[in-house]
Amino acid sequence: MSYIVEMRDVCKSFGALPVLTDFNLKFRQGEKVVIIGPSGSGKSTVLRCINCLEPIQSGNIWFEDEQITDKTDLSVLRMKIGMVFQRFNLFPHKTVLQNVIEAPIIVKGTSRDKAKQLGMDLLDRVGLVDKCDSYPKELSGGQQQRVAIARALAMNPKIMLFDEPTSALDPELVGEVLQVMKVLAEEGMTMVVVTHEMGFAREVADRVIFMDQGIIVEEGTPKDIFENPMQDRTKLFLKRIRY
Amino acid sequence: MNLDYSIILNKLPFLIEGCLVTLEISFYALLLGMVFGIGGALCRISTNRFLSGMAFLYVWIVRGTPVMVQLFILYFGLPQLGIKMSSMTAGVLGLAVNTGAYITEIIRGGIQAVDKGQLEAAMSLGMNHRQAMIRIIGPQAIKICIPPLVNQFIMTLKNSSIASLVTITELFRTGEQLIYTTFRSFEVYTVIAVLYLIMNSVFMVIADKLEKRMERQ
Repeated sequence: MSYIVEMRDVCKSFGALPVLTDFNLKFRQGEKVVIIGPSGSGKSTVLRCINCLEPIQSGNIWFEDEQITDKTDLSVLRMKIGMVFQRFNLFPHKTVLQNVIEAPIIVKGTSRDKAKQLGMDLLDRVGLVDKCDSYPKELSGGQQQRVAIARALAMNPKIMLFDEPTSALDPELVGEVLQVMKVLAEEGMTMVVVTHEMGFAREVADRVIFMDQGIIVEEGTPKDIFENPMQDRTKLFLKRIRY
Repeated sequence: MNLDYSIILNKLPFLIEGCLVTLEISFYALLLGMVFGIGGALCRISTNRFLSGMAFLYVWIVRGTPVMVQLFILYFGLPQLGIKMSSMTAGVLGLAVNTGAYITEIIRGGIQAVDKGQLEAAMSLGMNHRQAMIRIIGPQAIKICIPPLVNQFIMTLKNSSIASLVTITELFRTGEQLIYTTFRSFEVYTVIAVLYLIMNSVFMVIADKLEKRMERQ
């Protein structure tokens, strides 16, 4: 099978509030998928269910054809799934380089020297080598998010999940983060991106998914969704965010 | 007015000895209290309902009763049940149990004050709960806990004066004894107050340095 993640009939609720209802979604290896939709539509929850940050009530999820169950070693699973958060979540008590190399050392048992080499290479890729000894609070939001991307890449994941990576940024800092993500996409990384950056979706996505109220309303190529949406809800949403 | 500090100052070595006992009780009470507190906090946030229930009970009872009553139960009450301990043991244990309950709440608060995103970020990188606690949450919680912990340390040092009531000859009791022989209560109590103030000031200065050192992060 060429699907890296498959969600089948997933139901997820917070208390009495249903977030995902009989949710089905598959991602192919190397695919770049952008999920759009109004807030509260369950977009972020989809990502958080994939790496089991949120437990699901029913349904099944497969990662690389292995079903995720109670017995799944979540540590091993999560190593293969990189995640970037809206609010960066860098470790404030560690320097930039320490943020990047912490997990390789602690979780994978990589030697400190090797991890440092890897860390500096990754910081070079996101253009932040000169900031390696800074602390997160000394960086701009855009720089922090680039460090967070480097930190996730340090575990050499098979797929990267981006949960509104630019929503907490000042407008002028959005570009530098999207640029790093574009390069990552060009290199063939499998990516699932929840975002409101429609320009990015058009340019990078193989497939765009529009979600509302816990279900997929419509999906298709960026051209389909943005230029020729079929569903009224999609049309309304796109109209609202354009103006 | 009839004030004469010279008598007291002549007896200063006697009072200093009391200070040393006060420091000794406080040191052991805080050491043990930290153990109780860290253990209590970990139990309190545990998903195991028995452990969190026990920790809740501990904090509830200890915070809701006076430290003097707790000490008296240990030293004067327990012998009736056949459990006898020296005044020093009872004093240290009583203060430790008492301060441990407060430290439990301080540390629990510190851990819970760390942004939830930190744990999620650590988990998403493959860390297990223990690794995330030790490497990511713990260090940040400690920083948050330092100011209230310093407060608690100061409280404990002052509360150690209550140990005089279970016949430990610490600073306060030393002073009382001095009053029996000199009849100089004002001078003795003020000198004792100054000695407590000096001991606590050393504490505060050290704590201040520690906080400044952690500032950058």
